[in-house]
Amino acid sequence: MNAAFGAAGVAVGLAASVLGVVTLAIGLRRSDARLLRAGQRYVWLVLGGAVLATIAMQSALLGHDFSIRYVAENNSRGTPLLYTITGMWSALEGSILLWSLVLAGYLAVMARHFGDRVGDPLVGWATITGLVVAAFFFGLMAGPANPFRLVSGVTPFDGQGPNPLLQNHPLVAFHPPMLYLGYVGFTIPFAFAVAALVTGRLGEGWLVETRRWTLFAWGFLTAGIILGAWWSYEVLGWGGYWAWDPVENASFLPWLTATAYIHSVMVQERRGMLRVWNLSLLVATFALTILGTFLTRSGVLDSVHAFSESAIGPLLLAFFAVIVAVSIALIAWRGDRLRSPGSIDSPVSREGSFLANNVAFGAFAFVVLLGTVFPLIAEAVNGDRLSVGAPYFNRMTMPVGFTLLFLMAVAPALPWRKASGELLHRRLLWPAWAATLTVAACVLAGLRGFAPLLAFGLGAFAGAAALRQLALSARASRRQGSGAWRGLVGRANGGMVVHLGVVVIAVAFAASQAYGTDRQFRLEPGQTAHLSGHSLTYLGTSTTRLPNKTTTSARVRVDGRRVYRPALHQFPFATQAIGSPSVRVGALRDVYLTLVTAPEPGQTAAVIGVNIQPLVAWLWVGGGIMALGTALAAWPGRRRRPTEPASAPAVAVSPPEPDAPERPVAVGPHA
Amino acid sequence: MLPNDQWPWGPMRSKWSWAVMAVVLVVALAVGAQGRPGPPTDAERAHRIADRVRCPTCRGLSAADSDAPAAKAIREEVLRRVEAGETDGAILGYLVSRYDASILLNPEGDGVAGLVWALPAAAVVVAVGGLALAFRRWRARPDAAVSPADRALVEEALSSASGPRRRGER
Repeated sequence: MNAAFGAAGVAVGLAASVLGVVTLAIGLRRSDARLLRAGQRYVWLVLGGAVLATIAMQSALLGHDFSIRYVAENNSRGTPLLYTITGMWSALEGSILLWSLVLAGYLAVMARHFGDRVGDPLVGWATITGLVVAAFFFGLMAGPANPFRLVSGVTPFDGQGPNPLLQNHPLVAFHPPMLYLGYVGFTIPFAFAVAALVTGRLGEGWLVETRRWTLFAWGFLTAGIILGAWWSYEVLGWGGYWAWDPVENASFLPWLTATAYIHSVMVQERRGMLRVWNLSLLVATFALTILGTFLTRSGVLDSVHAFSESAIGPLLLAFFAVIVAVSIALIAWRGDRLRSPGSIDSPVSREGSFLANNVAFGAFAFVVLLGTVFPLIAEAVNGDRLSVGAPYFNRMTMPVGFTLLFLMAVAPALPWRKASGELLHRRLLWPAWAATLTVAACVLAGLRGFAPLLAFGLGAFAGAAALRQLALSARASRRQGSGAWRGLVGRANGGMVVHLGVVVIAVAFAASQAYGTDRQFRLEPGQTAHLSGHSLTYLGTSTTRLPNKTTTSARVRVDGRRVYRPALHQFPFATQAIGSPSVRVGALRDVYLTLVTAPEPGQTAAVIGVNIQPLVAWLWVGGGIMALGTALAAWPGRRRRPTEPASAPAVAVSPPEPDAPERPVAVGPHA
Repeated sequence: MLPNDQWPWGPMRSKWSWAVMAVVLVVALAVGAQGRPGPPTDAERAHRIADRVRCPTCRGLSAADSDAPAAKAIREEVLRRVEAGETDGAILGYLVSRYDASILLNPEGDGVAGLVWALPAAAVVVAVGGLALAFRRWRARPDAAVSPADRALVEEALSSASGPRRRGER
């Protein structure tokens, strides 16, 4: 029953995507508004199909319908409710279903948002692009990644349950959906980029239309990555949160190019330049979400987070190749319209700093991509088996990170076009003093090491620069009588809040990398170990049996106060026990406890792992600040007139747009 | 925070301010980069070596971070050899001969493995060089001449914008 509904949902989604593409294509060819409207309506059918398939999957999971193979492999009668629901994204086929649902949702919101402009070829082509992507993912579900395939033979009485690591922490309910809202969200700006190329309307209109969509996708991706780091810290039990693992890199790569894009797009809006570059960044971001899915789902790379492998790898790789090839061909075809007459006067200017930002982010992305795929390349070239791991990434990205922190400090102070020495002096003097005094204070407090001290100094520099901008903006808006809080809203001000979050994360990252210690102690009950000024008293272990797992937990009293319980879980169908750490979270440092070895039968001594890292909690706080800043940046701000010199997109230098809509390029709250 | 235009000192003193700042910063970083006194202990050295080596049986973790039996074995072996007085290079060389080159998380050697270090450096040099060339070209290009007609167009746009149509105009 569930399988039939699910298959029907997938079929409806696939058929509606294909029919929508065909209808819209004919409608655009004939300029037939009626066909275009009809084509747009297929988006709702796609959404209906995705929702039907999702309901069928959830109903199968909740009803433990083990006749469906996916349910038998990712659910069991003993699985708790939360992990039964999240079972939908515990393996490949369900993840594709979640992807399709999110994509259908985005497309529906897009269709609604642009509902009064169905006759506009830009919207038509963007919808076609979105529906092609949807057709690909529904096609995967209809074929090789069918989540509703039935088990062969007898329906088992019980299933295997989700991967043990995916039923160990409630963050599984938040991290994957957030990440997918980010990944999939980039489909919309990508679709508009393709539409702009096809229609030849390469002015700044499409950028402005998709500005907020990009921002939302970026915010969700950021939140998803940070939640993922938090999750691995809470679940994986090695005391780290970022291992430069292929799956982590796969989510980080589109983030890097998207971050470069949301900065460099400001140069285009302001000066009409960098058109090819911005299009390339947007295409790269979308293509990297697909490449990342390929790298992590095809099993070509080993990863701690690789929860599924399957045969859809070649299809994803082919799709990636098609995206890249089509985009490059379109950009080459429109090359003549993409040239811009503008020029940048001085490297010491806002636009100059955005260019430097792009070089840094480009280098960052290149290092991460190269390091991730290099083992594959080396093996293909001459059969060498080699690894590229955390030490490589740390060493290569550290200078880039310092460059970015420095740019974050200097760039907000730089004016457009050209900066004078006097101006820089006035704007940078006290942030620079803040940086210097921070470094001096850290050294006086006994902190050592060049890299962390430089990171703290640059962090203070960038943080002070952002605070200065926010204070000026708040004061200006209070003087205008609209309340100081208004000074925190809007793209530039929200951006500064995001910068503050980045600074918090950078400082916490540097501190925890440089000043962490870890040790393992073999302790008898009642014995106390000491590490970095903390005392750890092992009290004993206890074992509990739950329907889905058997848990052995140790009781460890930290600093003579609260008792923490690191544990080992043995799941049925799993060979290795899964540890779950117990963390004493603190503003200054976390004490991270793991049960490395439970007592042998007949013995009482256990091995307890202790990992003490400073400032880790601030990573998550920084993530929260970034999310808040993104929301502030996307908040509908003061309406700017399109003709206002400071905000007008550079329409004057764009090529003639024969079929442009009648009204001027919208720069309103909905743009 | 002081208002931007009211620094209590003149331009002369502000130059001093930057100079003093530079001295303080350089001294602080120089002192801070000295590191902790004394050579690293054997355990610290062993940890640092294990950090550069892959755990052979796990996915994506170093031998220092993993609790897998194979990682523990590597840690014990490394510590034994550190205590026996072997150099870092000799210990890593032993591990490569015991497993293979893929045990190292930092790919080493010339040939293909060297590319992973050289390519990003080359890419940055090319990007920065390209940017410098672009700036030179931009600087050489004279600004487009502004005709009286252009000025009139701007005037008109500005005056109409501040006129009655300013609110809610689409």
